[in-house]
Amino acid sequence: MRKERRKEEGAVNSMLSHKHLQKIELLSDTILYPEAVAFVRRMIQKERCKPLPATQVNGLLNIALTLKYDDARRFVEHQRERNWPSNKRDIKTFYTHLEKELTRLEQRLHTEFALTKDERGRRVSAEDEQEMLGLLFREYVQHLLAENMLAEAERRTQPGPYRR
Amino acid sequence: MNREMQIILEIDNQAEIFYPDAEKLGDHAATAIKKDHRAQLTSLETIAESTNKISDVFDYIKKQTARNASWREPHRDSPNEGFGIRLKKYLETDLKERSNRICQEPLRIGDTSDEGKRERRRIHLLLIRQFIRQMVVQYEYKVNVAETENKIANQARNAQRTPERRGGR
Repeated sequence: MRKERRKEEGAVNSMLSHKHLQKIELLSDTILYPEAVAFVRRMIQKERCKPLPATQVNGLLNIALTLKYDDARRFVEHQRERNWPSNKRDIKTFYTHLEKELTRLEQRLHTEFALTKDERGRRVSAEDEQEMLGLLFREYVQHLLAENMLAEAERRTQPGPYRR
Repeated sequence: MNREMQIILEIDNQAEIFYPDAEKLGDHAATAIKKDHRAQLTSLETIAESTNKISDVFDYIKKQTARNASWREPHRDSPNEGFGIRLKKYLETDLKERSNRICQEPLRIGDTSDEGKRERRRIHLLLIRQFIRQMVVQYEYKVNVAETENKIANQARNAQRTPERRGGR
């Protein structure tokens, strides 16, 4: 039933094309990497947060690597909604901002990234959109994790952009 | 000339030019990381050779810098900057500028279409691979020479001690 409806809407039921995967790699290097770096810097320098604890970062990475995008997004929402104790308010701030980034990512899939059409200009399936969002989220989280680790090490040990 | 051949020649030319910088970073690596943690540098080389994304290389460097104090050690050439940050800056900034220059002229690769952006990124990655290869070779050379020199120094020290002991009997 669902498949038929998608066919009616002109969606294509296929795996991600090589072109889409290539585009995601390009976006990872040129857009997501600098944005993840800027996100961590903003959290620390502007929002005055500490880097995210290792347990949280590793948890987020596991979620990004194993779950589908919808479930990963639900995890982020859940972490944002949690009633964190006062000494962990930074975590709530982090997830609040991360959720905004995800909303922006979803919007840009159609616009700036132009990933919702195939080579022939036909709309890709909803499953493919979810898969692409999942891959983009994964790339973003990996860059976030690396920058966060560096920020935490710099904060502890030496002067650098993250020293407060 | 074939296009790919032109790219390879240009990368080789650039590698000749930045060789002294790779040597300096290799010396810094040898002082900071030492021989016991050789795998950390060979893994960097493996990642650079196998990935299609330059950000994978930067992420690896950041993680190593965060995990290992040795990657944060400064050097006489770089008293204010540890090895990891120095390397990341060089790959991210100097090689990026070098890549942009050669993409403009003589390679004439645009930066507006996805295809152009992808090709520019590939050129940057090829430069990164060359640089890391050169740096790791210098690192290997330096740590092994240091080990040999230490062995010779120890032998000399032992040789000096032995006659003293004999004389004492």
